[in-house]
Amino acid sequence: MNGQNYNARRRSTFLAITKPAVLPAVGIILAGCGRAHSALSPVSPEAADIARIWWIFFVVCAAVYIVVALLVVGARWCRGNSNSTAGIPPPLKVEASQELRTERIVLWATVVTALILVSLLGADLWVQRGISPRNDDPLAIRLTGHQWWWSAEYQDPNPSRVFETANEIHIPAGRSIRLILESNDVIHSFWIPQIHGKKDLIPGHPAEISFRVDKPGKYDGFCAEFCGYQHAHMGLIVVAEEPAKFEQWAQAQRTEAPPSLTDSQKRGREIFEHASCSLCHTANGTMARSRVGPILTHVASRSMIGAGVLPNTRENLAAWLVDPQIAKPGAMMPPNELSKADLNALLDFMETLK
Amino acid sequence: MARAQSPAATDWPIAAKDFSNQRFSTLDQISQTNVASLKLAWSFDVGVRRGQESAPIVANGTMYVITPYPNILYALDLTQSGKVKWKFETAQPDPMSRGEACCDYVSRGAAYAEGKVFFNTLDGQTIAVSAETGQQVWRRKLGNIHVGETMTMAPLVVKNRVIVGNSGSQLGVRGWIAGLDINTGEIAWKAFSTGSDSDCLIGPNFHPFYDMDRGKDLGLATWPGDQWKLGGGTVWGWISYDPELDLIFHGTGDPASWNADVRHGDNKWTSGIFARRPDTGEAIWYYQYTQHDLYGHDGINESVIADLVLESGKPARKVLLHADRNGYLYVMDRTSGEVISATPFVRVNCSKGVDLKTGRLIFNDEKKPIMGKVVRDIAPAAPGGKDWQPSAFSPRTKLLYLPHQTLAMDFEEVEVNYIAGTPYIGAHAKFYADPVSPGDGSMGAFTAWDPVAKKPVWNIKEHFPVWCGALVTAGDVVFYGTMDRWFKAVDARSGKELWRYQVESGIVGQPITFLGPDGKQYIAILSGVGGWPGVVVSNDLDPTDPISAHGFGEAMKDLPKYTGKGGRLYVFSLP
Amino acid sequence: MNIARIFWLVTFAALLVSCRREVRDFHTGGPPKVRQLKGEPAAPDRYFSAQGPQMEMERNAYALSEGKRLYSNFNCIGCHSNGGGDIGPALMDARWIYGATPEDIYKSILDGRPNGMPAFRGRINETQARQLTAYVRSMSGQARESAAPSRDDHMKTTAPENSVDRQMPKPDERPKL
Repeated sequence: MNGQNYNARRRSTFLAITKPAVLPAVGIILAGCGRAHSALSPVSPEAADIARIWWIFFVVCAAVYIVVALLVVGARWCRGNSNSTAGIPPPLKVEASQELRTERIVLWATVVTALILVSLLGADLWVQRGISPRNDDPLAIRLTGHQWWWSAEYQDPNPSRVFETANEIHIPAGRSIRLILESNDVIHSFWIPQIHGKKDLIPGHPAEISFRVDKPGKYDGFCAEFCGYQHAHMGLIVVAEEPAKFEQWAQAQRTEAPPSLTDSQKRGREIFEHASCSLCHTANGTMARSRVGPILTHVASRSMIGAGVLPNTRENLAAWLVDPQIAKPGAMMPPNELSKADLNALLDFMETLK
Repeated sequence: MARAQSPAATDWPIAAKDFSNQRFSTLDQISQTNVASLKLAWSFDVGVRRGQESAPIVANGTMYVITPYPNILYALDLTQSGKVKWKFETAQPDPMSRGEACCDYVSRGAAYAEGKVFFNTLDGQTIAVSAETGQQVWRRKLGNIHVGETMTMAPLVVKNRVIVGNSGSQLGVRGWIAGLDINTGEIAWKAFSTGSDSDCLIGPNFHPFYDMDRGKDLGLATWPGDQWKLGGGTVWGWISYDPELDLIFHGTGDPASWNADVRHGDNKWTSGIFARRPDTGEAIWYYQYTQHDLYGHDGINESVIADLVLESGKPARKVLLHADRNGYLYVMDRTSGEVISATPFVRVNCSKGVDLKTGRLIFNDEKKPIMGKVVRDIAPAAPGGKDWQPSAFSPRTKLLYLPHQTLAMDFEEVEVNYIAGTPYIGAHAKFYADPVSPGDGSMGAFTAWDPVAKKPVWNIKEHFPVWCGALVTAGDVVFYGTMDRWFKAVDARSGKELWRYQVESGIVGQPITFLGPDGKQYIAILSGVGGWPGVVVSNDLDPTDPISAHGFGEAMKDLPKYTGKGGRLYVFSLP
Repeated sequence: MNIARIFWLVTFAALLVSCRREVRDFHTGGPPKVRQLKGEPAAPDRYFSAQGPQMEMERNAYALSEGKRLYSNFNCIGCHSNGGGDIGPALMDARWIYGATPEDIYKSILDGRPNGMPAFRGRINETQARQLTAYVRSMSGQARESAAPSRDDHMKTTAPENSVDRQMPKPDERPKL
């Protein structure tokens, strides 16, 4: 086989594969520029600092790149105009004055490079200091990563005010938040690009980060460390809201499941407590007190099911209950065989968990 | 109807002999000088080969022996070397209860009063049987076996109340103590260990000594959400009674689950001690030994009533002596609940002492369990510096005789699921001989402790935990048994071993003494290994799994080499 | 075709074979072969036969590791510890009170036993019971060594399931008290 031919064929195959992929790839990359998931549209002072340092690095590095590129092109251009025999480099002429000049240039270039690096390091440390733990009476939340969902426990000096939720955390805008990050199975990583940088959750080694979100809104978070089959579907929603509204929400989260009123709700509660649900889940105020699955005391108040997999509607919940493996293959929750009446009863009951 | 007879002072009518829980007998026929010639008088096979933790009781010439599940009650005629007078076999606990009892299916004894014998069954019934005829007088179902509620403690009869409590903290059972009518078994009062003040019978007369125990509805406020409903705090240990103050003193068990992450707060009223009125159950004071118990150190150990001169020249104080599982020996004022002193009697590294101003245990953060991390070398281990095995106090030597264990553990919290009727633990634990003190591989100790000087006077090391109660007599002899099948008598003042006897199976029971109808002093003990550490033998566990038996597997892996199962009563006397 | 190419082909094929131990089917909880029974009337004999899907599960690493996870999630570990036993009997030894066949174990899990073993029927589904059955058998070395779990996520205490000696199950002849 002719080597050149082979190479040409390889190149054309490569192009054939890549050409149609270029457009979508560009599209995907550009999608990252959307504000919702971008570290460059910060909503907390910490993320703003991180965005700023990102811009500083970007501008400085870009400038250095351009200068270096220009110099390289310039050097090539100068050399191209000199009277040398094609292909044979001219013998090096060593002139004392020339040598001194070169040395000086190299020296200055080194100094400038060092200065730039040291200033970048300084800026980095400065930002680091800026995002150090907050001590201004932060709201402490213990966030635990699981395969593949999040549990959040809101701390309080008064234990009866401690409460737990999952996959969707509400925080008061304008107040410092301290997250204690833990994991109970494998290493996960916490990342809400608009709020803070990444932080790993390592089993047995609690880590902490703190921040303050000034702008009320809904922010998406992810697991940023590959943690198994459904790593990509391990979403976390942060809802920052006015303090009064947050208090209202927190107070509601502290309440127990309401009494079941209709026959259908009662039947649903029975299924919830005595069939498989209670083997993994908790709903305060019921017999279900297990902790390997997300707490469901107020599941109806959340916007998504399955850690960001499906919007929380009755239809989606029904589909999820019957077979979570369709929406989230590999999830720890098994398919459930439920009659139509039982499924409806269970949904009726779960809708009361607001 | 049998005529009610009150037992003589030389009898042993309840597991602890009398209300003080001193386990001290004034009998002195058997003394330091002649104990060496002690001989077996007779023995009796109880027919159940499980952990024999119970104390035989003696009243009016008859001995009553309660077996572990199926809770057979024997009346043995002491005039005829233990011939069976009658046998009560109709307790018939639900077989399901065998799968609910956390630590072997034991019973800790029956109680005699007013012509009746009272005992609890594993499936949560209290039964009264006529002492004379063996006929059932009444029975009352108190526990729900389907949520894991069992009953293993020995009842205490005070005035016209039979006082009983439940077991099952490790299955997420909510603890309670109840006073039943002695004649009918009606529930006169029931006080829970968690929940609202009214559930806990806490009213206007409740005056705890420390600020931390004061406040409204602490049984709710010191728990997150409704976790108190599964809060544990079962009352499965010893109750003592001071007739002068008219107060009963009882400990409460550990909070459920062992995974403390699910139960932030002090978790009242678990791992502490209540003083209550026996007639109404009303709480008078409370003290929490271990706030937010992290290691399953529950507070049910006996509180020995004594009057001690703590400072020379001052009058004697009414105290309680309590060796807690958390490793401290508490000397408390029983009128108020004040802690006078708390001294470690084993190596303790999970806490740094007791703050006598606030009453709080000062935890050591280095040993705090963290989810997903194995914390090594926690001392004392979950069974504590001393477990349920009751101590004895001699007013003659003023020493407290402590049968106990020297264990440390590795501990890891794991996620916990509540499935009613199954263990609710959420932690893996592995116990082993304390590597520092004593550090020679021994796991048990028998210590004579001076509560005034706050130090040990003598100490005997044993290979296995000393899971057997102590008995001290006016002959200045102390008796105890070991899991490697020895029943021993030692000098109460020096700790010198005076006599030993090898029995069929390891001893985890409670020795007693009584004056027989023939005027001779007898010593009795049940042998039959079991209980938390002994379940390795009594339930044929596989010793290659070190965390079996809730963490005891590793420490007890050699036990099968020393003892098999058993169930035999031994009665000794001088020739 | 040269020898090198044949070598790589054979090696690759050999590697593919080992993929079988990892086959995952999230609806049946094990290898796809189990699915053949879906919709069929109850045929426990066939299900538990030597060639049946239950045996296939004992050769499937995913089914076994799911069984291991469920064993601790559903509190089996509370009574049987890591196989050494506790309130309940040991599961890693050769003695079996109610029989050691997959069918016996499956029945014990779903229907319970009178001396304290609770019934899990209606609380866990059949697939989970089968995974648990396969894992329980792996504790005494009955499952295929190449598929049995080799490590533990928590405090390691017993030997890994893939390196325990295979016990020859025998009925329990001890007195029941």
